[in-house]
Amino acid sequence: VTIHLSIVLFLPLATGLAGAFLPRGLARWAVLAGTVAVLAYVIVMLFDFESGGGLQWVTDDEWIPDLGIRYSLGVDGLNLFMVALTAVAWVPCTLVAAFSELERPRLFFFNLALAETAVLGAFMAQDLALFVVFFDLMLVPFYFLIGVWGSGDRVRATTMFVIYTLAGSLLMLAAAVALGVLATPSGGDISFSLADLQQRSIANGSQHWIVLLFALAFFVKAPLFPLHGWVPATYRSTSIPVLALLSGVLSKVGVYAFLRIVLPIMPDGADYWQELFVILAVFSILYGSILAFSQDNVRLVLAYSSIAQLGFIVLGIFAFEGKGAQGALFQMLNHGLVTVPLFLIVGVIAVRARGSESLAELGGMAFRAPVLAALFLITALATLAMPGSGNFIGEILILFGAFEDKLVYGLVASAGVALAAVYMIRLYQGTMHGRAGPAVESREIDTVNLAAVAPLVAIVIALGLYPNFVVHRTERDTTQNIARVVALSGNAEISVIK
Amino acid sequence: VSATSYGWLVLAFPLAGTLIVALGWRVLPGRVPGWIATSAIFLAFLSAIGALFDLLDQPEEERQLVDSAWTYAATGDFKADLAILVDPLSLFMCLVVTGVSFLIHLYSVAYMGGDRGYARYFAYLNFFVFSMLVLVLAANFVILIIGWAFVGAASYLLISYWYRRDTAVKAGIKAFVINVIGDIGLVVAAFLILDQVGSLDFLPVFDQAGDAFARNDGTLVAACLLLLVGAFAKSAQLPLHTWLPDAMEGPTPVSALIHAATMVTAGVYLIARMHPLFELAPTAADVGAIIGCATLLFAGTVALAVTDLKRVIAYSTISQIGYMVMGVSVAAYGAGLFHLMTHAFFKALLFMGAGSVIGAMAGIQNMDRMGGFRRAMPFTFITFTIGALALAGFPLTSGFFSKDEILAFTLNRGGGYAVLGVLGYVGAALTAFYAFRMVFRVFFGDAVPEARELEGGHIAHGEPVNPMTGESEDTEVGFPGPEHHVAERSWPMKAAMGPLALLAIVGGYLAVPGVSDVIEKFLEPTFADSRFHDTAPSDGAEWVGLIVGGVISILGIGAAWWVYLRKPGTATRLRERFAPVHTFLVNKWYFDELYDALFVRPVTSFGSFGRRVIETDFVQGTIVGGATGIVRVGTSIARSIQTGYLRAYALLLLAGVAGLTLYFLVNSS
Repeated sequence: VTIHLSIVLFLPLATGLAGAFLPRGLARWAVLAGTVAVLAYVIVMLFDFESGGGLQWVTDDEWIPDLGIRYSLGVDGLNLFMVALTAVAWVPCTLVAAFSELERPRLFFFNLALAETAVLGAFMAQDLALFVVFFDLMLVPFYFLIGVWGSGDRVRATTMFVIYTLAGSLLMLAAAVALGVLATPSGGDISFSLADLQQRSIANGSQHWIVLLFALAFFVKAPLFPLHGWVPATYRSTSIPVLALLSGVLSKVGVYAFLRIVLPIMPDGADYWQELFVILAVFSILYGSILAFSQDNVRLVLAYSSIAQLGFIVLGIFAFEGKGAQGALFQMLNHGLVTVPLFLIVGVIAVRARGSESLAELGGMAFRAPVLAALFLITALATLAMPGSGNFIGEILILFGAFEDKLVYGLVASAGVALAAVYMIRLYQGTMHGRAGPAVESREIDTVNLAAVAPLVAIVIALGLYPNFVVHRTERDTTQNIARVVALSGNAEISVIK
Repeated sequence: VSATSYGWLVLAFPLAGTLIVALGWRVLPGRVPGWIATSAIFLAFLSAIGALFDLLDQPEEERQLVDSAWTYAATGDFKADLAILVDPLSLFMCLVVTGVSFLIHLYSVAYMGGDRGYARYFAYLNFFVFSMLVLVLAANFVILIIGWAFVGAASYLLISYWYRRDTAVKAGIKAFVINVIGDIGLVVAAFLILDQVGSLDFLPVFDQAGDAFARNDGTLVAACLLLLVGAFAKSAQLPLHTWLPDAMEGPTPVSALIHAATMVTAGVYLIARMHPLFELAPTAADVGAIIGCATLLFAGTVALAVTDLKRVIAYSTISQIGYMVMGVSVAAYGAGLFHLMTHAFFKALLFMGAGSVIGAMAGIQNMDRMGGFRRAMPFTFITFTIGALALAGFPLTSGFFSKDEILAFTLNRGGGYAVLGVLGYVGAALTAFYAFRMVFRVFFGDAVPEARELEGGHIAHGEPVNPMTGESEDTEVGFPGPEHHVAERSWPMKAAMGPLALLAIVGGYLAVPGVSDVIEKFLEPTFADSRFHDTAPSDGAEWVGLIVGGVISILGIGAAWWVYLRKPGTATRLRERFAPVHTFLVNKWYFDELYDALFVRPVTSFGSFGRRVIETDFVQGTIVGGATGIVRVGTSIARSIQTGYLRAYALLLLAGVAGLTLYFLVNSS
């Protein structure tokens, strides 16, 4: 038992609280320092991590013993890179926010820090109740971040966001409680520990509806068609650094939880819904892609592209096959790593077009901003899963996993790869190429945004060179977490546990 | 130093060139980026020669060397190393690619002078060569697909190089998307092969394919057809050819390098590389042969009617690759690759000559406006004519030997293949005609004002306009550069065209039936396993084919001479007489319009349907607000935000978290 994960978990919150008592100007630097410290900690963890060594740096204490709820944290191959993504993403977003004009900065940065703690907690929790707490806790800071510091029709945006996610959260809360209670053997003690729950058996019929409730919550968060109603309004109004985190990191918590909670604990329920979820995923891929290139607003292009990308991830998870799950997990990381710089670049572009985010008014920026154009190009190519990027390995593993058992769905999903090329190149050309739009005043990317975006692009390139860094570290735990459902669906001979 | 070490060096130099030019764009002065990039390719060429000598030292059966740098990705049965395969085939491709690329870089040093994007151009060009070398050196499907896609991206970047032109931007996305369709073909094919054979590495796959698949096994045929999708997309074969003519939006040396000499031949390389699979799936190979034949005829007819100089050469390229695809699909691997090489020489040369003429025309590409450049540009005239002769397969030029070897082999297979061979000769007649249609229209006849101006000693300067649309250029950005360059006045262009002109003639002597068979011998270790290894036509039969081909070529050139020089005006009369045919050809058989109606418009209209109807009525309407109950829940929650319930909830949570923190900070130590 170590304290490391508790330090990582509460460090952001501590700096946020500290910032609240510091002079107005200093809060942002305190929080930024906190995110950097978390990142440093996580980098050390990345290299200390023992591949295939199961849960590491475990913290496991009683919290509410009467209800069988434990404060239990741990990191294994399944969440190592989710934690890393969170730590990596928060630094540039906080940095960009720190250099922007904000009202009530102390509150803003407190919320930003709290959000990081909540997301880290959701990723590291090894107790279902603890996961639910952190999952719901994420909602709070984002409610304020969107509602108070958003732009445009932010009330509507916040309302939509809250209705959807709150509904999802309540369903999940009910599902979690039901799961804990129904899993308790007669005479046994109730427990929400994930390890315990995996050992216990839940009746098939119960599994079906519990999985559905979880899935609704996670699909809202992802988002997946048709539960993405909150997306357009929220994406339009949220400020750029917050949106980058919302789209890049928060969207992964739900899909991650499928691998961590749903598949290992309720394989029968997951198997029951497999067909439907795969269809939803494939439809999201096509629908999101087509809508993405029908949009004029730059943010909405990325919003619908996220729906398509998350569709790929869900497809990989519900392929119930080792490569598919591996690809899905890797793609969660990759999508986060490209989405954050993409949104930051959108922010940079908008500043150079007097706030306009309409493709009709943009264009021709590459000429005076070659560095911006190059960074954008690399990120855009990675987003469309250009071979040679980590995203390609993620996507090819997802597709290979899907082909194994669901060849037709996989082939339909492949069309999404071509559509991704259409909307990403269109986005790149619409902003960087062609003649300069009327409102465009082309300038090179500023130092702050460069410092935020360039390291992320460097990571994207590095993962393209050596994707096995991630694949190797995640393989064993991913395979184990889907082992039960694989055995159930008859894919057992395909995925061999090392 | 082993052959594989040289192989890595072949990759390292262009990559280093890319990085140096790309990162040093702000500080490298004048033409320095051009020279750095050119030397990088030259060093890669030298490394390829080093690898060649090393490989020739090995005994024949050990001339397939694999070297891995690191495990690229491995999970379950999916395992791919970052590995290269150095064998005669990959080395042959490396030599052609680096050799021709070097000359085209050299040409570009002068040709692109005065363009504001000079460094960007050379960074892209080096990156292209690097990607192409990754493609040909790849030892497994994953690295192959990476090289394959990188090449597509480099091509995209160079097509859209003058990105302020609307036409260049549109051509770029078209090329990119069609190339991605090809990539998907390769990905699915790789899956089928992994699934059935259990490996992604070429050599094990080829070894075990015979055990894993029965002849014409359904899965294998599907895999090979998917490989063909990739090959057709990259090599601009029917029906995925539409991007290549538009790709002429790129600078002319790019057309020479990527869209004629190297990248578009990748499909030919792919079929040759995968020949153990195609020979097990003869149905797929036949599809390749038929499509190749159809493409060579189709593109030949379009080249008769199009008037844009570069697009004539582009359709000629599509047609010539048709020959190569047909060749490697009927198992004439040596012949197909031989034609790939000679075509690289003469087609690069033709594009360079065209670039020189376009320079003299101050950017105008329409042949209707050209004429009489013979005296003004003697060097360009002679080299271009040599290129055209080789393209037409004129006796004793390189194209004469290589094209006819493919046709001889095809005829020799007998049966239905004989029909393909005969159609190939029909295509050869078309080729000779349109090749000299260019020569006669550009260099003969009355001198146009631009030609007279050049004879007077200076290069014409027109208003900068987009040659496709006539729109005036966006001159603010300084590219395309204000300067125009002709070979007569810049030595690097001459230095590039001279050797190519020589190679366009003597390149053919590497494989003269009964005299020399250097290419066949060298490639032998790669293709020794072919079932058709001993079915090559006899030297006598090949010479009969050569004589027939030579006669056809001379007749075709003669016909062009008759139509354009002897009886000028014949072309106009023919055009009027066969107006519907001409319209059909000028519109390139209406492929663009067809795809627009079949794919582009349905998808875009679904997009707007989705935006207007599904998003608003269904997602927002039915799901958000359709059921009044949900609406009421929504509004009450919205009201609770106003009245502060949610804030209280949030604060409560916060307090909880704070308490927790405190508790565990105290407890967990």
